[in-house]
Amino acid sequence: MNFEIEETRNPSSHAGEKTKRRWWRFRWSDILWGLVYPRGGPRITATPSGAVLIALAFGIGLAAYNASNNILFITLSLLLACLILSGMMSTVNFRGVGWRVLLAPPLRAGHDALVTLELTNRKRLLPSYGLWFDLVAIPPLLAGLPAVRASDRPRKRLFLRERLGPGTSVRLDWVFRPERRGLQRFELEGVGSLFPFGFLRKSIASALRREIIVWPAPVEYRWQGAASARPQPSGQRYPRAGAGSDLLALRRFAPGDSHRMIHWKASARQQQLLVRQFSAESQQVFALWVRTPAEVWTRPEQFELLVGFAASLAEDLFRAGRLRTLSLNGGRARPVGRVRDLEAFLDELAVVQPVPEADLGTVSSDNSGDGISSTRNLLSFVPDGPRGVAALIDGKRAATA
Amino acid sequence: MASARPQLSLDELRQLKWLLGGLLAVQAIWTVLYLELDTWTLLIPATVAVAAAIVWPRIPSLIPAALHTLAFPIILVVFLGDLWLNGQLLPAMIRLDVLLIVYRCMSYRARRDDLQLIVLGLFLIVVAGVVTVSLVFALQILAFTGCALAFLFIITLVDAAEAKHPAPRTPLFTWGGAAETPGWIERADWGRLVLRLRAAADWRLLALGAFLFGGVVVVSGLLFLAIPRFDLGGSFFLERYLTRQARVGFSESIRFGEVTDIISDNSRALSVEITDDDGEPAVEGVPAVPYFRMVVLDEYRDGTFSMSPRLRNQVNRARRNTFVLQGTERERGDPLVFWTFYFEPGISRFLPIPGSYIGLRFQGMQNVSDPVDLQLVALENEPVSMVAYQLRNVSVSLRVEDNPLGRRRPDLRPPPPPGGRPPLNEEAYLRLPGLGDSDHAALERAITELTGGLTLEEAGRLDPMDFAGRVGQWLADRHTYSLQSALPTGPGDPVVRWIGGTSPGHCELFAGALVVLARKAGFHARAIAGFRGGTWNAFTGNLTVRNDNAHAWCEIWDRDEAWVRVDPTPGTTDEAATGTVLARNYDNSWAARLDSLRILWYRRVVNFNENTQRDVVRSVRDAARESGERMRALLDGLEARIKAWVSQPWTTRRTAGVATGAAALALAFWAWRVWGDKLRWGGGRGSSRRADPVRAEAGRWLSRFATLSAAGTLPPEGALGELTRLRYAAPGSWPKPERVFREARELWRLLRRSR
Repeated sequence: MNFEIEETRNPSSHAGEKTKRRWWRFRWSDILWGLVYPRGGPRITATPSGAVLIALAFGIGLAAYNASNNILFITLSLLLACLILSGMMSTVNFRGVGWRVLLAPPLRAGHDALVTLELTNRKRLLPSYGLWFDLVAIPPLLAGLPAVRASDRPRKRLFLRERLGPGTSVRLDWVFRPERRGLQRFELEGVGSLFPFGFLRKSIASALRREIIVWPAPVEYRWQGAASARPQPSGQRYPRAGAGSDLLALRRFAPGDSHRMIHWKASARQQQLLVRQFSAESQQVFALWVRTPAEVWTRPEQFELLVGFAASLAEDLFRAGRLRTLSLNGGRARPVGRVRDLEAFLDELAVVQPVPEADLGTVSSDNSGDGISSTRNLLSFVPDGPRGVAALIDGKRAATA
Repeated sequence: MASARPQLSLDELRQLKWLLGGLLAVQAIWTVLYLELDTWTLLIPATVAVAAAIVWPRIPSLIPAALHTLAFPIILVVFLGDLWLNGQLLPAMIRLDVLLIVYRCMSYRARRDDLQLIVLGLFLIVVAGVVTVSLVFALQILAFTGCALAFLFIITLVDAAEAKHPAPRTPLFTWGGAAETPGWIERADWGRLVLRLRAAADWRLLALGAFLFGGVVVVSGLLFLAIPRFDLGGSFFLERYLTRQARVGFSESIRFGEVTDIISDNSRALSVEITDDDGEPAVEGVPAVPYFRMVVLDEYRDGTFSMSPRLRNQVNRARRNTFVLQGTERERGDPLVFWTFYFEPGISRFLPIPGSYIGLRFQGMQNVSDPVDLQLVALENEPVSMVAYQLRNVSVSLRVEDNPLGRRRPDLRPPPPPGGRPPLNEEAYLRLPGLGDSDHAALERAITELTGGLTLEEAGRLDPMDFAGRVGQWLADRHTYSLQSALPTGPGDPVVRWIGGTSPGHCELFAGALVVLARKAGFHARAIAGFRGGTWNAFTGNLTVRNDNAHAWCEIWDRDEAWVRVDPTPGTTDEAATGTVLARNYDNSWAARLDSLRILWYRRVVNFNENTQRDVVRSVRDAARESGERMRALLDGLEARIKAWVSQPWTTRRTAGVATGAAALALAFWAWRVWGDKLRWGGGRGSSRRADPVRAEAGRWLSRFATLSAAGTLPPEGALGELTRLRYAAPGSWPKPERVFREARELWRLLRRSR
C-alpha cells in the first residue's frame, strides 16, 4: 500500500491551500514590506548571474541616458527582455507540473525507507526542465527527548535533471532513515527552478505534507522465558493457521499442497480445488501487556528501550506463533490472529507516551469463554536497573534488554 | 510513463556547453574586425586558438598548470604594456578583452568562467556597436543573444545535473604538470554529439527556442520604444578614449592624388534623405547630381592645397558645444524640407554641406564650428561613429556668400566700387607662393593662349565667370580626364608643368590649374573638396554618396559678394551652372536594398530620440482614435439602418416575414439544444484516443471538476465515474455521452451556484 499525496502547480488552483478571504485593511507599511518580502505566491530571487545581469543592465542604462546612445538602449532593452522572458518561461515551466509523494510503509526507526516523488507534466506541448524539490523530514516529538532543531532536520533537494516531456512522468527517490519512532512528518518545503537561463531563482511554497507512523526500532534482548512460562492445556486452539486438528478455513490449492488436504466436497461446489487449513495449537502462548505509567518510566531513554523491546518481543513471539493477545495500558486485550493485528499494535506502540498511573487500568479479555485466564502467561515489563528493561512472565523475569 | 525521445547525458551537455562557449567567443572576437583598430595580428591567432580549442578540447589539458596560473598576470602585463606603448585606453581594453576571451576558451570553465565569457563578449559587441553604429551590430547582437541564451540554458541544465554528480574542482594554484583533463573531454566525440543532438531534438523544443528568441526580439523592441528618453546633454563618452585617423582623408591639407585615392574607395560615405514635414521624399528642385562642400582650401604650394592658418583660426574660433546651428538662409514661409545626413566615420571632421540652409540640428550634443562666410561645418575631431545631422530648407546654389550677414541687411551694404569689391581675406586668394619665374612665365603664356592673345591685365578685366569658362574649355581641349594621370617630369611647380603639357588629369589637377591660372590673372580663387553626385535609391528615394563620388572643384570670386562654383573637370555637368536637368541615377540593385535597410536602421533606431518617441506615441494615439471613430461610425450606421428598418411600415407581409424568421431561429436553437449534443458526440469515435472529441470533452469536464475539488467542493462520485468512463474506458462500455455531458453541465452550474 502506498500513501500518496498529490499537488498540481496550476495558478487557477492551489491544492491544499484553503484560504478564507477576509476584508483587508490597507496599510502602506504592508505594501512596502510586501515588496521587500512577498508573502504569497512564487518567490523570485536573483542568482549571482542574475545579479550580474541586473548590475549590467543598470550600468548600461546609466551610460545610455548619459550618452543618449540608442545602441546602449538596444542593449538595455535586450537585457531587460531576457529578464522578462526568463520570468515568463519560468512560470510556463512550472505550469501543469504535478507532484506526489509516495511512501511505502512500514517505516521503522533506524531502517532505510524510500521516499519517492513522482512528477507528471500535464502540459500538452511543452516540456519542463530543471526543477528541484526541497523535502524535509520532521522527526516526531517524544516525551522527555529534546526536539530536533529545525536546522538539524533531515533535508533533501531532489533535482529533475532530465527533460520532463509533455504528458510524461518521472520518479525521484530519496532513501531516508528515520531516527525516531512516532508520527514522522514529511513536508515539501518548496519547489524551485533556475529555468531557463539561471538569472532568477523562482521558488514556490508547497502545501504538501504528510504524516506517517514510524515503528520503534528493534532492540537486542535476552530471552529466558521458557522456564518461567506455564504450559497450556493440550489441544488449545488459536485462530491462525497451524498444525492442529480443528478446521480453521479453506483456501485455494497451491502447488506443493498435499493432495490429502484437498476438501473434495467444497472443491466440487466451488469448481476449483480448495484445501483445508487447520488451526494452530501450542503449549506455551503469551499475552503481552505493555504498561507505561509515568511514575515507573521516568527515564526517557529507558522508556524508548521499553517500547522497542516490547515491539521486538511482540514480533518475535508472533513469528513463533506464541503470541495470543496484545494490550497496551488500560486497553482491552486483543487476540492476535493475523499480521494486521500485530501491525495495529505496533502502530499504537509507535506513538505511545508515558501516562499517569491513575489513568491506567487492568488488562481485560474480550474472550472469556476460551477457558484460559487473560492473565495466564502474561508478559509485562518493568525497569531493570537505571537503564535496562526486563520482561516478566507472570511476575517472573523472562527476558531482558 | 517514460519519455520516448532520448535525452542528452551530463557529459554530452558539458560538451555542448563547451561548443557553444567557443562559438560565442569567436562571434565576439570577430566584432573587432569592423572596429578597424588594426587588430589583425591579434584577431587571426585568437580565432585560430579558439577554433582549435573547440575542435580539440584536450588542448587546455596540454598547457602546463603553471601557465594557467600565470595567465592572468601575463595578460595584465600585456595590457599595461599596450596602454603604455599606444596610449589609447579603449583599443588597449579591447585587446585585453580579446586576450581574456581566448584564455577563457583555453581553460576548462566553471560556471563563473562561463558567465565571465558572456560578459566579455557582450562588452566587445556593445563597444563595437557604440563606436560604429553599424547595422552589423544589430545582426551581431541578435546572433550573440541567441547563442548566449542557448549557452545559459545549457549551463542551467548542467548545473541541475551536477547538483547530483558534482564535477571535481581543480585546485586554484598548481605549479607542476599539466592541468587535469575532465572525463567528459576524454569522451568527447563531436560527430556523435551531433547525431545525439539530432536524435534528442524535438520540434516542440525547437519551436520553444524559436518562440523564446522571437519573444526576446519583440519584447526588446517594445522596450526600446517604451523606455522613456530624455536628453541629459551628455556627449558620446567613448569618443574620448578612441581616436582614429581619416581612412580616406578630407583634411585641412590635400596633396594632388589624395582625392583620387578617395575615389578608388567604393565604400559608402554618406546617405542623404530629403523629406518633407511628413517624412515623405521631397526631391523636387534638388539637382540630380548635387555638390557637397566639405573643405575650403585657400593656400597652394608645391602641389598641395591647404587651409591657410588664418582660415584654420577662423574655423577653430567658431567652435562651441551645441546640437543646433543657425544657417544663413532666412525663413520665407516655404514648405519645410529636411535633408537628413548619415555621415559615415573615417572620412573627415568636415561635414558635407550641399548649400546654405536655415538651420542644422545634430542628433546629440557636438563640439562644432560653422564659420558662416565659409559655409563649412567642422567637428572638433574626426567622428569614430556615424554622425547624423539634419539641414532645414537647403538652398542649393552655385554661390556662397562671403558676407551672408550683410545680405540680410542689403541696405547696410555699400555699393561695390567700380573695379569690384574684394572678398574677405583677399590677399590669401591671390597668392601663389613657391612658383618660380619660369612657372609664372608659363602661366602667363597659357593665359594669353586661352584668352586669345590678351595680356594679363586685359585678361584680369574679363568677367570672372567668362574667364573661368575659357580656362575650363582650354583645359578640356588639352587634357582628357583620367584617374591614371602622370605629371610631366621636370623642374617647377607640378600643376604648372601639367598645364603646359597634354597629359590626362583628374579633378584635382583641373581644379588646381583653374585656381592657379585665375590667381595669375588676378581673380580671387580657391579650391574646394567634397563630393559630387551619388546614386538615388530606387526603394527609399534617398541619395547614397560613396567615396568614389569624391571630387574637387573651385570657387571664383564674382567681384561683388559671392564665391561662384566652377567645375573645370571635363564631363562634369553642373546643373546649377548650365541649367541642364540631369536624369536621376536610380539604383535598384541588392546593394540599394541593403542600403535602404541601413537607412531604416539609422532613421528608426539610431536616430530614435524623445521627439521620435513622442511621434510614435502620437501616432499610436491617432491610430487608436481613428479606429475608434471608424468603429463608432460603423455602429452609428448600423444603428441608423436598424432604426430605418424598424420605422418602415409594418405591413402584414413584413410582419409575417419577421415572425417566420424569429420562429426559424427559435426552432434552430431548440434543435441545437435537443440534438446538438447528439450530433456533436454521435460520430467520430475514432481509434485515436486524443482525436476522439468525446474523450476530449470528458477530459475537459474532469479538469473542471478537479478545480472544484481543489477548492473544497466535491462533485458526486457518480457523475465523475461516468465522465471517467467516457474519458478512459472502451467505447463499447460508454454511457450516452450527450446525457452525461448535459448532466455534467447542470451539475457544474449547480455547484457553481452553491459556492
